[in-house]
Amino acid sequence: MIEAIRIGLIVVAVVLGLFFTFVSATGVIRLPDVFSRAHTASQADTLGAGFALAAVALTLGWEPTTVKTVLLLVFIFVTNPTAAHAIARAAYEEGIEPWTTGDERR
Amino acid sequence: MAAEEAPRLVVPVQRSVTLRQTVDYAMAEVLAADGEPTVHFVFMATWRGGDPGTDADRDRAEALLDQIRIWARYECEEAGVNPETIEIETALIGLESYLFSPDEYADLLTSYAADHDLDRVVVDPEYSLVGHTTLLQPLEFELERSKLAIEEAPVDRPTRRDRLVSRPNLPRFLALFGVSFLFYQILGGFSGTFDLVTGIATAAIVAITLDSVSFYRDPTLVDSPKRILRGVVYVPYLLYEIVVSNLVVARLILDPRLDIDPRLTKVRVFVGSGFPLTTLANSITLTPGTLTVTAEDQELYVHSLAPFAREGLFDGSLERWVRFVFYGREAARFPSPRERGDTEVLQEPSDAASTDADESGGEER
Repeated sequence: MIEAIRIGLIVVAVVLGLFFTFVSATGVIRLPDVFSRAHTASQADTLGAGFALAAVALTLGWEPTTVKTVLLLVFIFVTNPTAAHAIARAAYEEGIEPWTTGDERR
Repeated sequence: MAAEEAPRLVVPVQRSVTLRQTVDYAMAEVLAADGEPTVHFVFMATWRGGDPGTDADRDRAEALLDQIRIWARYECEEAGVNPETIEIETALIGLESYLFSPDEYADLLTSYAADHDLDRVVVDPEYSLVGHTTLLQPLEFELERSKLAIEEAPVDRPTRRDRLVSRPNLPRFLALFGVSFLFYQILGGFSGTFDLVTGIATAAIVAITLDSVSFYRDPTLVDSPKRILRGVVYVPYLLYEIVVSNLVVARLILDPRLDIDPRLTKVRVFVGSGFPLTTLANSITLTPGTLTVTAEDQELYVHSLAPFAREGLFDGSLERWVRFVFYGREAARFPSPRERGDTEVLQEPSDAASTDADESGGEER
């Protein structure tokens, strides 16, 4: 019974991870400029990778390796916004004006 | 003019190895002069007055100023001068706000000098701001606009210009050793004596080599665990926020009927510089829909994808949480950026004719 729930949770986590990665990929294609794309690109890292790693942790069960998975998650959560910020700041300092409603889509 | 005008000095102070020499130098300057010389020793607070947990900082600053008063009196007596004939003042300034950049310190010092009619600054060469920049350069820059003269106190110890490096100390060493050791054990899977021994060796090497660059403020036995615990409480809330706004943004992206309405916004936040500000900026970026573009002192430039994200940002719940993590429960009761009027939408819709008519609050879709 517990095993079934565990497998169910793993499947849910993998599907959610895939879903958010898909959304993120769609966003990168659909959104108009570098700033809005940076928003959605970091989504893939936070929840996409987040749920995938959660699935990994569940698959492994109670093992020392699971702790490493959680640590991986922690590092992703620290580095991901830093990277997104670096991209956005680089764009800002290049003088790129953020796209607003009414502007032409590129 | 018959004699040289009596010096009116202002000396920014801070605990440093050359502080005593700086005080002595300032006192010597004052004692050598005729007339009614004045010297003010000022401590510029790096924290904001009234923030919980800063009482200890305040006490330390007051104690330092007391110490300086004692030194100054002693110098007077050594020189055989009645201390009453010299105006010696000490002050703790800058409690109204967090000081971020060097020019804010310089501004504060300049205005203090103006208020008290002081005309010369004596700076301890070891004086540093948030642990890494020297004060002299920005202050000299400020001087082009003010009448203050500035000089570096001649001290024996050669000035160090190493950025980010601070002197080793035991609590920091132990904290770093503990964290590295634990991390090593986790990676090794807590597997026996061999790992314990190599772990001790590795952690010692890490702690010795990186001790001077790895902490923003020295860890303490009471405050640091408290802050870590509050951080642990913060994580689930942050995760919840991330999931909720991820779902909203996912809908925004997938639903062809909905479109984004991005704007660059500016928010003035009230968290300390360095690590607290980084935590807040990163939390904002982690939450989809808001993206910290750049930070200028206390002002964060945040790109927001849609009105819901802006509203959330201006409600300031993340800011309050970060204040909670770093300063405790009391500090979390704080007006939101919207209530303080610290929000600004930098880009008006390009099709709207009336630009300044509606403020950030009145956004409609």
